[in-house]
Amino acid sequence: MAHAATTAEAAGAASGSAPEVKVLGIVCNWCSYAGADGAGTARLKQPLNLRLVRVPCTGRIDPLFALKAFENGADGVLISGCHPGDCHYSEGNYYARRKFELLDRMLPFLGVEPERFRYTWVSASEGTRWQQVVTEFVNQVKALGPRTGRAL
Amino acid sequence: MAPQPEVIARVSAGPPANPTEAKVRELAKAALAEGKVDYVIGWCYGYDRSQAIPAFVRDPDEADELIVNGLVHHNLVTFLKRKMPDPPNAKIGVCVKGCDSRTLVALLQEELVDRERLYVIGVPCRGTIERRKIEKEFTDEVVDIAFSADRTTVTATTRGGETKDFATDDVLRSQCTVCRYPNPRYADDLAAEEVTPRLEGEPTWPSVDEFELLSPAEKDAKMAEVFETCIRCFACIHACPVCYCWDQCVCRSRSPELVSQRVGPAENLVFQMIHMFHVAGRCPSCGACDQACPVEIPLYLLHRKMNKELYDMLGFEAGVDLDAKPVFQTFRIEDVLGEH
Repeated sequence: MAHAATTAEAAGAASGSAPEVKVLGIVCNWCSYAGADGAGTARLKQPLNLRLVRVPCTGRIDPLFALKAFENGADGVLISGCHPGDCHYSEGNYYARRKFELLDRMLPFLGVEPERFRYTWVSASEGTRWQQVVTEFVNQVKALGPRTGRAL
Repeated sequence: MAPQPEVIARVSAGPPANPTEAKVRELAKAALAEGKVDYVIGWCYGYDRSQAIPAFVRDPDEADELIVNGLVHHNLVTFLKRKMPDPPNAKIGVCVKGCDSRTLVALLQEELVDRERLYVIGVPCRGTIERRKIEKEFTDEVVDIAFSADRTTVTATTRGGETKDFATDDVLRSQCTVCRYPNPRYADDLAAEEVTPRLEGEPTWPSVDEFELLSPAEKDAKMAEVFETCIRCFACIHACPVCYCWDQCVCRSRSPELVSQRVGPAENLVFQMIHMFHVAGRCPSCGACDQACPVEIPLYLLHRKMNKELYDMLGFEAGVDLDAKPVFQTFRIEDVLGEH
Protein backbone atom coordinates (compact mmCIF):
# COMPACT_ATOMS: atom_id res chain seq x y z
CA MET A 1 0.00 0.00 0.00
CA ALA A 2 2.68 2.49 1.03
CA HIS A 3 4.66 1.58 -2.07
CA ALA A 4 1.65 2.04 -4.34
CA ALA A 5 0.90 5.43 -2.79
CA THR A 6 4.42 6.71 -3.40
CA THR A 7 4.33 5.56 -7.01
CA ALA A 8 1.06 7.38 -7.56
CA GLU A 9 2.43 10.47 -5.87
CA ALA A 10 5.57 10.35 -7.98
CA ALA A 11 3.48 10.10 -11.14
CA GLY A 12 1.38 13.04 -10.00
CA ALA A 13 4.43 15.12 -9.10
CA ALA A 14 6.08 14.41 -12.46
CA SER A 15 3.11 15.64 -14.46
CA GLY A 16 2.48 18.47 -12.02
CA SER A 17 -1.15 17.44 -11.57
CA ALA A 18 -3.14 15.80 -8.74
CA PRO A 19 -2.02 12.22 -8.07
CA GLU A 20 -3.82 9.71 -10.27
CA VAL A 21 -6.01 7.08 -8.69
CA LYS A 22 -5.99 3.44 -9.72
CA VAL A 23 -9.36 1.76 -10.06
CA LEU A 24 -9.84 -1.95 -10.65
CA GLY A 25 -12.90 -3.09 -12.54
CA ILE A 26 -13.98 -6.73 -12.40
CA VAL A 27 -16.60 -7.44 -15.05
CA CYS A 28 -18.42 -10.45 -16.40
CA ASN A 29 -17.69 -11.58 -19.93
CA TRP A 30 -21.26 -11.61 -21.17
CA CYS A 31 -22.75 -8.30 -20.14
CA SER A 32 -20.52 -5.66 -18.62
CA TYR A 33 -17.41 -6.50 -20.63
CA ALA A 34 -19.48 -6.43 -23.79
CA GLY A 35 -21.07 -3.19 -22.60
CA ALA A 36 -17.64 -1.68 -22.00
CA ASP A 37 -16.57 -2.90 -25.44
CA GLY A 38 -19.68 -1.29 -26.90
CA ALA A 39 -18.85 1.97 -25.17
CA GLY A 40 -15.35 1.83 -26.66
CA THR A 41 -16.61 1.03 -30.15
CA ALA A 42 -19.02 3.94 -29.92
CA ARG A 43 -16.03 6.12 -28.90
CA LEU A 44 -17.65 7.22 -25.67
CA LYS A 45 -15.08 9.12 -23.61
CA GLN A 46 -14.13 7.33 -20.39
CA PRO A 47 -11.60 8.00 -17.62
CA LEU A 48 -8.26 6.25 -18.03
CA ASN A 49 -7.93 5.23 -14.40
CA LEU A 50 -9.86 1.99 -14.78
CA ARG A 51 -8.14 -1.34 -15.36
CA LEU A 52 -10.53 -4.10 -16.32
CA VAL A 53 -10.36 -7.77 -15.40
CA ARG A 54 -12.73 -10.02 -17.30
CA VAL A 55 -14.22 -13.06 -15.58
CA PRO A 56 -16.74 -15.58 -16.92
CA CYS A 57 -19.50 -14.55 -14.52
CA THR A 58 -19.94 -12.40 -11.42
CA GLY A 59 -20.51 -15.71 -9.64
CA ARG A 60 -16.79 -16.32 -10.21
CA ILE A 61 -15.84 -13.20 -8.27
CA ASP A 62 -14.70 -13.87 -4.75
CA PRO A 63 -15.18 -10.84 -2.49
CA LEU A 64 -11.58 -11.47 -1.48
CA PHE A 65 -10.48 -10.34 -4.96
CA ALA A 66 -11.60 -6.85 -4.04
CA LEU A 67 -9.94 -7.01 -0.63
CA LYS A 68 -6.72 -8.20 -2.22
CA ALA A 69 -6.90 -5.37 -4.74
CA PHE A 70 -7.22 -2.85 -1.94
CA GLU A 71 -4.34 -4.46 -0.11
CA ASN A 72 -2.23 -4.24 -3.27
CA GLY A 73 -2.87 -0.55 -3.66
CA ALA A 74 -6.09 -0.13 -5.63
CA ASP A 75 -7.89 3.10 -4.77
CA GLY A 76 -11.28 1.84 -5.86
CA VAL A 77 -12.92 -1.41 -6.99
CA LEU A 78 -15.88 -1.59 -9.33
CA ILE A 79 -17.71 -4.86 -9.92
CA SER A 80 -20.23 -5.20 -12.70
CA GLY A 81 -22.18 -7.99 -14.35
CA CYS A 82 -25.44 -8.94 -15.98
CA HIS A 83 -28.64 -7.57 -14.51
CA PRO A 84 -30.30 -10.00 -12.07
CA GLY A 85 -32.49 -12.22 -14.20
CA ASP A 86 -30.22 -11.87 -17.26
CA CYS A 87 -27.26 -13.96 -16.11
CA HIS A 88 -25.72 -15.96 -18.95
CA TYR A 89 -25.60 -18.89 -16.53
CA SER A 90 -29.11 -18.16 -15.23
CA GLU A 91 -28.30 -17.59 -11.57
CA GLY A 92 -24.63 -16.73 -11.04
CA ASN A 93 -25.33 -13.12 -10.18
CA TYR A 94 -28.08 -14.02 -7.70
CA TYR A 95 -25.49 -15.86 -5.59
CA ALA A 96 -22.90 -13.16 -6.23
CA ARG A 97 -24.95 -10.20 -5.11
CA ARG A 98 -25.36 -11.58 -1.60
CA LYS A 99 -21.59 -11.78 -1.28
CA PHE A 100 -21.03 -8.34 -2.79
CA GLU A 101 -23.60 -6.83 -0.48
CA LEU A 102 -21.80 -8.29 2.54
CA LEU A 103 -18.49 -6.99 1.20
CA ASP A 104 -20.05 -3.59 0.57
CA ARG A 105 -21.15 -3.48 4.20
CA MET A 106 -17.86 -4.84 5.59
CA LEU A 107 -15.43 -2.53 3.75
CA PRO A 108 -16.41 0.69 5.58
CA PHE A 109 -15.93 -1.26 8.81
CA LEU A 110 -12.31 -1.92 7.83
CA GLY A 111 -11.62 1.75 7.29
CA VAL A 112 -12.18 1.85 3.51
CA GLU A 113 -14.47 4.72 2.55
CA PRO A 114 -17.79 3.40 1.14
CA GLU A 115 -17.29 5.47 -2.06
CA ARG A 116 -14.32 3.28 -3.01
CA PHE A 117 -16.37 0.18 -3.70
CA ARG A 118 -19.38 -0.28 -5.90
CA TYR A 119 -21.15 -3.22 -7.47
CA THR A 120 -23.61 -2.67 -10.26
CA TRP A 121 -25.23 -4.28 -13.29
CA VAL A 122 -24.57 -3.16 -16.86
CA SER A 123 -25.86 -5.14 -19.83
CA ALA A 124 -24.16 -5.64 -23.19
CA SER A 125 -26.38 -3.05 -24.84
CA GLU A 126 -25.82 -0.37 -22.21
CA GLY A 127 -22.66 1.29 -23.54
CA THR A 128 -23.80 4.73 -22.45
CA ARG A 129 -24.71 3.44 -19.01
CA TRP A 130 -21.23 1.93 -18.73
CA GLN A 131 -19.68 5.28 -19.61
CA GLN A 132 -21.83 6.98 -17.00
CA VAL A 133 -21.12 4.37 -14.27
CA VAL A 134 -17.37 4.46 -14.83
CA THR A 135 -17.16 8.26 -15.01
CA GLU A 136 -19.22 8.66 -11.88
CA PHE A 137 -17.30 6.02 -9.94
CA VAL A 138 -13.84 7.21 -10.97
CA ASN A 139 -14.80 10.79 -10.11
CA GLN A 140 -15.92 9.83 -6.64
CA VAL A 141 -12.68 7.90 -6.07
CA LYS A 142 -10.69 10.87 -7.44
CA ALA A 143 -12.46 13.13 -4.97
CA LEU A 144 -11.08 10.97 -2.15
CA GLY A 145 -7.64 10.69 -3.73
CA PRO A 146 -5.17 7.81 -3.37
CA ARG A 147 -5.55 5.61 -0.32
CA THR A 148 -3.22 6.08 2.57
CA GLY A 149 -4.63 3.43 4.94
CA ARG A 150 -2.40 0.93 6.67
CA ALA A 151 -4.92 -1.73 7.62
CA LEU A 152 -5.90 -2.69 4.08
CA MET B 1 -8.11 -50.00 25.30
CA ALA B 2 -4.77 -49.85 27.16
CA PRO B 3 -4.59 -47.11 29.79
CA GLN B 4 -2.89 -43.98 28.55
CA PRO B 5 0.12 -42.82 30.59
CA GLU B 6 -0.59 -39.52 32.31
CA VAL B 7 2.11 -36.98 31.46
CA ILE B 8 1.09 -34.23 33.85
CA ALA B 9 -1.36 -35.04 36.59
CA ARG B 10 -4.70 -33.39 35.99
CA VAL B 11 -6.83 -32.20 38.85
CA SER B 12 -9.58 -34.63 39.71
CA ALA B 13 -13.11 -33.27 39.49
CA GLY B 14 -14.53 -34.90 42.62
CA PRO B 15 -18.26 -35.28 43.28
CA PRO B 16 -20.62 -33.40 40.95
CA ALA B 17 -20.81 -29.72 41.80
CA ASN B 18 -24.23 -29.14 40.26
CA PRO B 19 -27.16 -31.18 38.91
CA THR B 20 -26.24 -30.52 35.25
CA GLU B 21 -22.77 -31.90 35.84
CA ALA B 22 -24.21 -34.99 37.52
CA LYS B 23 -26.61 -35.55 34.62
CA VAL B 24 -23.87 -35.13 31.99
CA ARG B 25 -21.74 -37.72 33.79
CA GLU B 26 -24.73 -40.05 34.02
CA LEU B 27 -25.58 -39.71 30.31
CA ALA B 28 -21.95 -40.15 29.27
CA LYS B 29 -21.52 -43.15 31.51
CA ALA B 30 -24.69 -44.81 30.21
CA ALA B 31 -23.79 -44.18 26.57
CA LEU B 32 -20.30 -45.61 27.06
CA ALA B 33 -21.54 -48.61 29.04
CA GLU B 34 -24.22 -49.44 26.47
CA GLY B 35 -21.67 -49.17 23.69
CA LYS B 36 -23.74 -46.45 22.06
CA VAL B 37 -20.53 -44.46 21.59
CA ASP B 38 -16.82 -45.21 21.45
CA TYR B 39 -15.94 -42.05 23.31
CA VAL B 40 -17.53 -38.93 24.70
CA ILE B 41 -16.06 -35.49 24.22
CA GLY B 42 -16.73 -33.25 27.20
CA TRP B 43 -14.89 -30.92 29.54
CA CYS B 44 -12.69 -31.68 32.54
CA TYR B 45 -10.40 -29.65 34.79
CA GLY B 46 -6.95 -28.87 33.48
CA TYR B 47 -3.87 -28.72 35.65
CA ASP B 48 -5.66 -26.69 38.28
CA ARG B 49 -9.24 -25.72 39.05
CA SER B 50 -9.06 -22.39 37.28
CA GLN B 51 -9.58 -23.71 33.78
CA ALA B 52 -11.32 -26.43 31.87
CA ILE B 53 -9.85 -28.42 29.01
CA PRO B 54 -11.53 -30.72 26.47
CA ALA B 55 -11.78 -34.30 27.68
CA PHE B 56 -12.03 -37.48 25.61
CA VAL B 57 -13.66 -40.10 27.81
CA ARG B 58 -13.39 -43.72 26.69
CA ASP B 59 -14.01 -45.56 29.95
CA PRO B 60 -17.37 -45.26 31.83
CA ASP B 61 -15.44 -44.70 35.10
CA GLU B 62 -13.62 -41.72 33.61
CA ALA B 63 -16.97 -40.04 33.04
CA ASP B 64 -16.79 -38.87 36.66
CA GLU B 65 -14.06 -36.45 35.57
CA LEU B 66 -16.47 -34.51 33.35
CA ILE B 67 -17.44 -31.04 34.51
CA VAL B 68 -19.99 -28.43 33.52
CA ASN B 69 -19.68 -24.95 34.96
CA GLY B 70 -18.87 -21.42 33.87
CA LEU B 71 -15.37 -22.43 32.79
CA VAL B 72 -16.37 -24.71 29.91
CA HIS B 73 -16.02 -22.24 27.05
CA HIS B 74 -14.52 -24.70 24.54
CA ASN B 75 -16.62 -25.42 21.53
CA LEU B 76 -16.17 -29.18 21.24
CA VAL B 77 -17.78 -29.34 17.82
CA THR B 78 -14.38 -28.35 16.47
CA PHE B 79 -13.27 -31.97 17.05
CA LEU B 80 -16.04 -33.21 14.75
CA LYS B 81 -15.12 -31.18 11.70
CA ARG B 82 -13.19 -32.74 8.85
CA LYS B 83 -15.58 -35.67 8.71
CA MET B 84 -14.75 -37.04 12.16
CA PRO B 85 -11.55 -38.91 11.34
CA ASP B 86 -10.58 -40.70 14.50
CA PRO B 87 -11.05 -43.66 13.97
CA PRO B 88 -12.97 -43.52 10.67
CA ASN B 89 -16.01 -45.47 11.89
CA ALA B 90 -16.11 -44.28 15.52
CA LYS B 91 -19.37 -43.34 17.16
CA ILE B 92 -18.88 -40.16 19.09
CA GLY B 93 -20.70 -38.57 21.98
CA VAL B 94 -20.29 -34.84 22.29
CA CYS B 95 -21.43 -32.23 24.82
CA VAL B 96 -22.74 -29.02 23.33
CA LYS B 97 -23.85 -25.70 24.79
CA GLY B 98 -26.27 -23.46 22.93
CA CYS B 99 -23.69 -21.74 20.72
CA ASP B 100 -21.82 -25.02 20.12
CA SER B 101 -25.03 -26.66 18.95
CA ARG B 102 -25.50 -23.90 16.41
CA THR B 103 -22.11 -24.69 14.88
CA LEU B 104 -23.06 -28.37 14.89
CA VAL B 105 -26.32 -27.54 13.11
CA ALA B 106 -24.31 -25.52 10.58
CA LEU B 107 -22.09 -28.55 9.90
CA LEU B 108 -25.14 -30.83 9.69
CA GLN B 109 -26.83 -28.48 7.23
CA GLU B 110 -23.89 -28.98 4.88
CA GLU B 111 -23.62 -32.70 5.66
CA LEU B 112 -20.10 -32.26 6.95
CA VAL B 113 -20.66 -34.56 9.91
CA ASP B 114 -22.52 -37.84 9.95
CA ARG B 115 -25.60 -37.53 12.15
CA GLU B 116 -25.93 -41.30 12.47
CA ARG B 117 -22.60 -41.58 14.26
CA LEU B 118 -23.26 -38.79 16.74
CA TYR B 119 -24.72 -38.82 20.20
CA VAL B 120 -25.28 -35.25 21.31
CA ILE B 121 -25.59 -34.33 24.99
CA GLY B 122 -27.16 -30.88 25.15
CA VAL B 123 -26.10 -28.60 27.99
CA PRO B 124 -28.37 -25.59 28.53
CA CYS B 125 -25.88 -22.85 29.29
CA ARG B 126 -25.97 -19.92 31.67
CA GLY B 127 -22.92 -18.29 30.18
CA THR B 128 -19.21 -18.98 30.43
CA ILE B 129 -16.65 -16.67 31.93
CA GLU B 130 -13.70 -14.90 30.37
CA ARG B 131 -10.73 -16.09 32.41
CA ARG B 132 -8.61 -13.23 31.08
CA LYS B 133 -10.86 -10.69 32.72
CA ILE B 134 -10.15 -12.33 36.07
CA GLU B 135 -6.44 -12.82 35.40
CA LYS B 136 -6.01 -9.10 34.79
CA GLU B 137 -7.15 -8.35 38.33
CA PHE B 138 -4.17 -10.20 39.80
CA THR B 139 -0.40 -10.02 39.47
CA ASP B 140 -0.05 -13.64 40.61
CA GLU B 141 -1.20 -16.74 38.73
CA VAL B 142 -4.85 -17.70 39.19
CA VAL B 143 -5.08 -21.35 40.23
CA ASP B 144 -8.68 -21.78 41.35
CA ILE B 145 -11.98 -20.40 40.12
CA ALA B 146 -15.10 -21.48 42.01
CA PHE B 147 -18.76 -20.64 41.52
CA SER B 148 -21.34 -20.02 44.20
CA ALA B 149 -24.28 -22.44 44.28
CA ASP B 150 -26.57 -20.00 42.47
CA ARG B 151 -23.80 -19.11 39.98
CA THR B 152 -24.01 -15.37 40.73
CA THR B 153 -20.55 -15.08 42.27
CA VAL B 154 -17.16 -16.25 41.10
CA THR B 155 -14.33 -16.64 43.57
CA ALA B 156 -10.80 -16.62 42.19
CA THR B 157 -7.75 -17.68 44.19
CA THR B 158 -4.12 -17.16 43.22
CA ARG B 159 -1.11 -19.35 43.89
CA GLY B 160 -0.14 -17.00 46.71
CA GLY B 161 -3.54 -17.46 48.36
CA GLU B 162 -5.01 -14.08 47.41
CA THR B 163 -8.78 -14.32 46.93
CA LYS B 164 -11.24 -12.04 45.15
CA ASP B 165 -14.96 -12.28 44.45
CA PHE B 166 -16.52 -11.21 41.16
CA ALA B 167 -20.12 -10.94 40.05
CA THR B 168 -20.54 -13.60 37.34
CA ASP B 169 -22.19 -11.09 35.03
CA ASP B 170 -19.09 -8.87 35.14
CA VAL B 171 -16.70 -11.57 33.99
CA LEU B 172 -18.85 -13.31 31.37
CA ARG B 173 -17.50 -13.60 27.87
CA SER B 174 -18.95 -10.72 25.88
CA GLN B 175 -20.92 -12.98 23.51
CA CYS B 176 -22.56 -14.66 26.51
CA THR B 177 -23.92 -11.34 27.76
CA VAL B 178 -26.08 -11.03 24.63
CA CYS B 179 -26.83 -14.72 24.15
CA ARG B 180 -30.20 -15.47 22.56
CA TYR B 181 -29.72 -19.21 22.14
CA PRO B 182 -28.42 -20.64 25.45
CA ASN B 183 -30.33 -23.89 24.85
CA PRO B 184 -29.03 -26.43 22.34
CA ARG B 185 -30.77 -26.23 18.97
CA TYR B 186 -29.96 -29.86 18.32
CA ALA B 187 -29.38 -32.54 20.94
CA ASP B 188 -30.31 -36.17 21.57
CA ASP B 189 -30.54 -35.74 25.34
CA LEU B 190 -30.67 -32.63 27.46
CA ALA B 191 -28.69 -32.55 30.70
CA ALA B 192 -30.90 -29.96 32.38
CA GLU B 193 -34.08 -27.94 32.06
CA GLU B 194 -33.95 -25.28 29.36
CA VAL B 195 -32.84 -21.89 30.66
CA THR B 196 -34.26 -18.47 29.86
CA PRO B 197 -32.16 -16.58 27.31
CA ARG B 198 -30.42 -13.44 28.58
CA LEU B 199 -31.73 -11.61 25.58
CA GLU B 200 -35.01 -12.18 23.81
CA GLY B 201 -36.33 -10.53 20.66
CA GLU B 202 -33.97 -8.70 18.33
CA PRO B 203 -30.22 -9.37 18.63
CA THR B 204 -27.85 -6.64 19.80
CA TRP B 205 -24.30 -6.05 18.68
CA PRO B 206 -22.06 -4.68 21.42
CA SER B 207 -18.62 -3.34 20.38
CA VAL B 208 -19.67 -3.32 16.73
CA ASP B 209 -22.04 -0.40 17.18
CA GLU B 210 -19.36 1.66 18.94
CA PHE B 211 -16.73 0.80 16.33
CA GLU B 212 -19.05 1.85 13.52
CA LEU B 213 -19.19 5.39 14.88
CA LEU B 214 -15.48 5.95 14.21
CA SER B 215 -14.34 7.81 11.08
CA PRO B 216 -12.73 5.79 8.24
CA ALA B 217 -9.28 7.02 9.28
CA GLU B 218 -9.87 6.07 12.91
CA LYS B 219 -11.16 2.64 11.93
CA ASP B 220 -8.15 2.12 9.70
CA ALA B 221 -5.77 3.12 12.48
CA LYS B 222 -7.53 0.85 14.97
CA MET B 223 -7.60 -2.12 12.56
CA ALA B 224 -3.92 -1.62 11.76
CA GLU B 225 -3.04 -1.46 15.45
CA VAL B 226 -5.03 -4.57 16.26
CA PHE B 227 -3.93 -6.74 13.33
CA GLU B 228 -0.29 -5.67 13.53
CA THR B 229 0.06 -8.09 16.45
CA CYS B 230 -1.30 -11.17 14.64
CA ILE B 231 1.39 -13.84 14.43
CA ARG B 232 -0.69 -16.00 12.09
CA CYS B 233 -0.40 -18.96 14.44
CA PHE B 234 -3.65 -20.41 12.99
CA ALA B 235 -5.06 -21.00 16.48
CA CYS B 236 -8.24 -19.14 15.50
CA ILE B 237 -8.91 -21.31 12.48
CA HIS B 238 -7.98 -24.51 14.28
CA ALA B 239 -10.29 -23.70 17.16
CA CYS B 240 -13.08 -22.65 14.80
CA PRO B 241 -15.63 -25.46 14.50
CA VAL B 242 -16.92 -24.32 11.12
CA CYS B 243 -13.60 -23.57 9.36
CA TYR B 244 -12.64 -26.93 7.95
CA CYS B 245 -10.49 -26.68 4.81
CA TRP B 246 -7.29 -27.41 6.75
CA ASP B 247 -4.34 -27.84 4.40
CA GLN B 248 -6.48 -26.92 1.41
CA CYS B 249 -7.10 -23.46 2.89
CA VAL B 250 -6.65 -20.70 0.36
CA CYS B 251 -4.52 -18.81 2.88
CA ARG B 252 -1.78 -21.39 2.31
CA SER B 253 -2.11 -21.30 -1.44
CA ARG B 254 0.55 -19.81 -3.72
CA SER B 255 -1.78 -19.68 -6.69
CA PRO B 256 -3.93 -17.73 -6.11
CA GLU B 257 -1.84 -16.02 -3.50
CA LEU B 258 -4.30 -14.18 -1.31
CA VAL B 259 -1.96 -14.13 1.66
CA SER B 260 1.77 -13.76 1.14
CA GLN B 261 4.66 -14.42 3.49
CA ARG B 262 5.03 -10.71 4.11
CA VAL B 263 3.91 -9.70 7.56
CA GLY B 264 2.00 -6.55 8.27
CA PRO B 265 -1.43 -5.39 9.30
CA ALA B 266 -2.83 -5.55 5.76
CA GLU B 267 -1.73 -9.15 5.14
CA ASN B 268 -2.99 -10.18 8.55
CA LEU B 269 -6.30 -8.48 8.02
CA VAL B 270 -6.76 -10.17 4.63
CA PHE B 271 -5.96 -13.48 6.35
CA GLN B 272 -8.69 -12.83 8.91
CA MET B 273 -11.11 -11.65 6.25
CA ILE B 274 -10.61 -14.95 4.42
CA HIS B 275 -11.68 -16.68 7.60
CA MET B 276 -14.60 -14.31 8.05
CA PHE B 277 -15.91 -14.69 4.50
CA HIS B 278 -15.47 -18.44 4.49
CA VAL B 279 -17.44 -19.01 7.69
CA ALA B 280 -20.17 -16.51 6.76
CA GLY B 281 -23.47 -18.36 7.09
CA ARG B 282 -22.06 -20.91 9.52
CA CYS B 283 -20.51 -18.69 12.20
CA PRO B 284 -22.85 -18.00 15.13
CA SER B 285 -20.20 -15.82 16.89
CA CYS B 286 -19.47 -18.57 19.41
CA GLY B 287 -16.20 -16.85 20.28
CA ALA B 288 -13.93 -19.91 20.00
CA CYS B 289 -11.50 -17.85 17.88
CA ASP B 290 -11.32 -15.04 20.44
CA GLN B 291 -10.58 -17.51 23.20
CA ALA B 292 -7.89 -19.20 21.13
CA CYS B 293 -6.07 -16.02 20.10
CA PRO B 294 -2.82 -15.77 22.08
CA VAL B 295 -2.43 -12.04 21.38
CA GLU B 296 -6.03 -11.17 22.23
CA ILE B 297 -7.07 -9.76 18.85
CA PRO B 298 -10.76 -8.85 19.07
CA LEU B 299 -11.77 -11.16 16.23
CA TYR B 300 -15.36 -10.83 17.35
CA LEU B 301 -15.39 -7.39 15.77
CA LEU B 302 -15.23 -8.89 12.29
CA HIS B 303 -17.46 -11.88 12.99
CA ARG B 304 -20.10 -10.02 14.90
CA LYS B 305 -20.19 -7.32 12.24
CA MET B 306 -20.64 -10.00 9.58
CA ASN B 307 -23.49 -11.58 11.52
CA LYS B 308 -25.06 -8.20 12.11
CA GLU B 309 -25.05 -7.46 8.39
CA LEU B 310 -26.33 -10.91 7.42
CA TYR B 311 -29.17 -10.47 9.90
CA ASP B 312 -29.88 -7.01 8.58
CA MET B 313 -29.71 -8.08 4.90
CA LEU B 314 -31.55 -11.37 5.01
CA GLY B 315 -32.76 -11.93 8.57
CA PHE B 316 -30.32 -14.82 8.65
CA GLU B 317 -28.89 -16.39 11.79
CA ALA B 318 -26.41 -19.24 11.47
CA GLY B 319 -27.18 -22.70 12.79
CA VAL B 320 -30.63 -22.03 14.17
CA ASP B 321 -32.68 -24.18 11.84
CA LEU B 322 -31.54 -27.64 10.74
CA ASP B 323 -33.50 -27.39 7.49
CA ALA B 324 -32.27 -23.94 6.49
CA LYS B 325 -29.72 -23.48 3.74
CA PRO B 326 -26.47 -21.62 4.44
CA VAL B 327 -26.84 -18.07 3.30
CA PHE B 328 -24.37 -18.12 0.40
CA GLN B 329 -25.48 -21.48 -0.97
CA THR B 330 -28.88 -20.23 -1.89
CA PHE B 331 -30.62 -17.08 -3.09
CA ARG B 332 -34.03 -15.60 -3.49
CA ILE B 333 -34.90 -13.87 -6.73
CA GLU B 334 -36.77 -11.30 -4.70
CA ASP B 335 -33.75 -10.52 -2.46
CA VAL B 336 -33.73 -6.79 -2.01
CA LEU B 337 -30.15 -5.71 -1.60
CA GLY B 338 -28.56 -2.31 -1.90
CA GLU B 339 -27.10 -2.66 -5.44
CA HIS B 340 -26.78 0.62 -7.20
